[in-house]
Amino acid sequence: MTTTDILYQIRDLVVEYNTRAGVLTAVDHVSFDIHRGEVLGLVGESGCGKSTLGKALMRMIQEPGRITGGELWFDGVDLMQLSPGEMRKLRGSRISMIFQDPMTSLNPVQRVVEHITETIRVHEPHVSIKAARARAAELVDRLGINRNRLDDYPHQLSGGMRQRVMISLALALRADLVIADEATTSLDVIVEAQFLDLLKELREEFNLTILLITHSIGLVAELADRVAVMYAGRMAELADIHELFEQPQHPYTRGLLRAVPNIRLEDDELYKMPGSPPDLVSPPSGCRFHPRCPEASEICSRQAPTFHEHRPGHFINCWLYQEQEESVSLEASS
Amino acid sequence: MSPALRRYILVRVLLTIPMVLILVSLVFLVLRVLPGDPALAILREGASEEQLASFRAALGLDKPLHVQYVEFIKGVLRFDFGSSMTRKIPVTQEIKTFFPATVELALASMFVTGVVGVFSGAFAAQHRKSAADYTIRILSILLYSLPIFWLGLMLQMTLGKGAGWFPVSNRLSPGMTPDKIITGMYTVDALLTGNWPLFKDAAWHLILPSITLGLVLAGIFTRLTRANMLDILEQDFITAGRARGLRERTLVYRHGLRNAFIPIVTLLGLQFALLLAGAILTETTFSWPGMGRLVVDRIYDRDFTTVQGAILFFALLVAGISLFVDILYGFLDPRIRY
Amino acid sequence: MAEIQTPSSTVEAEKIGLLGRFWRGRIWYGTEWYITTLGGLILIAMILMTIFAPWLAPFDPNAFIGAQFTPPGWGKQTLLARSGEAPDISLDNLAGVMIGVQRNRNGANLAKELHAQGKRYQTQEDLLAALLDGEVDLIFVDQKLTEEILAHYEGLEIVAEGLGRNYPLGTDNLGRDIVSRLIWGARTVLGVALTSALFSSVIGITLGLISGFVSGVLDRVLSLVMDSIYSFPGLLLAIAMVVMLGPGLINVAIAVSVIYVPTFFRVVRGQVFSIKEELYVEAARSLGAKPLTILTRYIFPNVIPSVVVVFSLNVADAILTEAGLSFVGLGLPPDVPDWGYDLSKGQSFLVAGQWWPITFPGIMITLVAAGFSLLGEGLSEILNPRLVKG
Repeated sequence: MTTTDILYQIRDLVVEYNTRAGVLTAVDHVSFDIHRGEVLGLVGESGCGKSTLGKALMRMIQEPGRITGGELWFDGVDLMQLSPGEMRKLRGSRISMIFQDPMTSLNPVQRVVEHITETIRVHEPHVSIKAARARAAELVDRLGINRNRLDDYPHQLSGGMRQRVMISLALALRADLVIADEATTSLDVIVEAQFLDLLKELREEFNLTILLITHSIGLVAELADRVAVMYAGRMAELADIHELFEQPQHPYTRGLLRAVPNIRLEDDELYKMPGSPPDLVSPPSGCRFHPRCPEASEICSRQAPTFHEHRPGHFINCWLYQEQEESVSLEASS
Repeated sequence: MSPALRRYILVRVLLTIPMVLILVSLVFLVLRVLPGDPALAILREGASEEQLASFRAALGLDKPLHVQYVEFIKGVLRFDFGSSMTRKIPVTQEIKTFFPATVELALASMFVTGVVGVFSGAFAAQHRKSAADYTIRILSILLYSLPIFWLGLMLQMTLGKGAGWFPVSNRLSPGMTPDKIITGMYTVDALLTGNWPLFKDAAWHLILPSITLGLVLAGIFTRLTRANMLDILEQDFITAGRARGLRERTLVYRHGLRNAFIPIVTLLGLQFALLLAGAILTETTFSWPGMGRLVVDRIYDRDFTTVQGAILFFALLVAGISLFVDILYGFLDPRIRY
Repeated sequence: MAEIQTPSSTVEAEKIGLLGRFWRGRIWYGTEWYITTLGGLILIAMILMTIFAPWLAPFDPNAFIGAQFTPPGWGKQTLLARSGEAPDISLDNLAGVMIGVQRNRNGANLAKELHAQGKRYQTQEDLLAALLDGEVDLIFVDQKLTEEILAHYEGLEIVAEGLGRNYPLGTDNLGRDIVSRLIWGARTVLGVALTSALFSSVIGITLGLISGFVSGVLDRVLSLVMDSIYSFPGLLLAIAMVVMLGPGLINVAIAVSVIYVPTFFRVVRGQVFSIKEELYVEAARSLGAKPLTILTRYIFPNVIPSVVVVFSLNVADAILTEAGLSFVGLGLPPDVPDWGYDLSKGQSFLVAGQWWPITFPGIMITLVAAGFSLLGEGLSEILNPRLVKG
């Protein structure tokens, strides 16, 4: 795999929040790549840090949070070295985001068209309002919104339409990478299906790279090429979708997949993972999953394993697949 | 106008009716029912029985309370507040003379409040938890802890008497008279008639009183704006806007303020009472011949009917303002408009 | 393991005392803690001043004790004589001794108090001329002016210095000591403001609890009435009531309290509405708890934090309203030391440059009002972060 195939390289990313109870490490030394043109699913329980990771990729962590370490190489540029102004110019034009709730993500007192023209003109100041409007109309046409609705206010649109507006905002400047953060959670099943179809179409047409952040395994199975599994602020496993679903290696991934209702296994009882996600202010020592892990051994509570490539393209963060001597001093766990 | 907006306005108008009734009844309650005889309050001890009786008869105070109440309401409905006991002219005439000065002061102060309060509040919210935020917060608390009249006196002492930059009383310099009374607000009238020297003089006199009143209210407004802006800046559409690469300035002052503006306008309506109360004190401090001065002066003159009429006028004014603000709200918020 | 790693701060909090725990609060609450503490300290100082007024105040606040408009820091006198011609007198007993004084200056008052025979002169020049001409053998001059006078006139000698009283903040138009009036005035202001806030809180809380709990028609009517009162300019309402009720501490307190009933009502009613829907209240209801029990046991304790905040903020406002009433001349009888009254009396002398009778009472009003505001603001963030945001 050549470097040109990699759009975004994330290395040792750390995001911390200062809370009254202490420092919370929401994203803890996370490293992975996003390939050009792929759909990468990012799954995990709520609170595992996947949304924070998504925001961190756009350097949009707000106080009291902070990116305290790591490198973000986007298309050959380390975003951590950019000035806030340069970073702002990148947002919306090269990396854009679709949010969970399209109702609250649109300014209630601003017309739909103003959202789009404003986005176009902040990145391309020379474009006239009229030209921006024309582009907006073209865009919403393509997304299946009647251009008569452009002058509507967000509350006048249906949930599905609002989500299309959100997509049109993300695509307004042909962003290379679209981060969809729980983008379908607030939609009902039928609208979600339409949304997925649209996303698939757009992916071909716009040659999109998508980071699909979700807690829904079903959504990932539907859309993703590769899947990353996150647990308690760390990467647990990352692999090709077929490989991950057919041969999950990390005990957490296995538990997660067994907990998904499956029509084919009707007489199998649904698996419930014991325990609950840890408190990230004072996380368990060693591997953070060890208190819940059915296969934990003595070393797991003592030392954290590293996220390494077990097989080509298959990364795992677990002692079961790692020689103990290999990484004794590589990682100092909290 | 959409049907929804029309219905909204109609409901607001209807809701104003009980409010007016309650306010007028409140005034009646205070001036007629409360222990304390208006006749005695006005004429003071030492007045003879005949004097008291004729005073009561003249005002209808000798009639049973329910009869008084009906007459009271009738008078208000006809916008007839009786005639002044000291000036022998209708009270409405008096109000017409004094009210424009209060409006002029109130509008100028609202301008100061709006500019200072909204911007410092938005700025504090934008830089939440920074040194600037805390400074603005403490300063705003200090500002609205200032007795308005004292701030007025201090400004008179320093910028007025001390530096000699501003006049400290009245609306115009001696010798200046408006050519023509149109609105009764001298600055506006001067502009309408194109009388530049008059405008300069009137505006000059307006500066200290409006800064006094405006600054104290700006303290409250900074706080309200900051709180509302904080709520709004936490909302998803601000984050979404940031993700689209919009500038922080655009997010705070265009998206944020435009949304915060709606609750702020409502609060402005609610705080209008504060503005009027403040105006009474400001007018007393700066010898500004407005409604506040009218009330205070006529209390000294023992002019019961004028005091009563002026207070009733305030009650109607307050109801009118709250209706106006509600309707304005309807026009500002697209969620009501459609 | 999670259960072992209890945050260390809570463990230590058990070992330290109440004051220590309070001191630790600054880390937890940050700036809000400082705001609250600042407000609290101002108020503690004020309350101590109120309690110990008789011991703290140097003079009777109503006594015409000095010359009118003694500037701050003035009052002490110097006794001057011609050089080498100082009469042989005992400073302990000046009775009957002839001393030249300037009219309306503290020297005149001092001579009278010492039973000396004061001979009055209109101006300082007249006074000094009289001494140098031998008309009198001794004169009182302000200590602050002594140096200047000695530089100007030759052949003078200081007989005694530092006689009489010092007025740190000066005296007012009637020669009353401003410090003493400030200290006693705190009693009046805090008394009226706290009494009125107490009245309005009792009425407002009760009506708010009932209105929020019963809801329906009663609630709608009460809310409308309260909103109407709230929208009316409070000061005007207070003015009207004081005009009718007449001056006096209790009357002013009643008049002021009416203004603030709606704020208590609104906050309490709003809280009751939201608490009513809480699961534990629902649970109590389904278990057959009586409405009164629910109201007093479950709902009332929950509104206390917001009531504390509103109380503090309202006292601040009541202080300003009371001062406003006094300022327009409608507050308290003239023999009650009151900051607002002093301000209204002092304003006409501002023209002549006598700034001290109005500056200091104004600072006191601001300080006390700010103290209550700071306390209320800080507490509202600490007790209930949503309240201030509306």
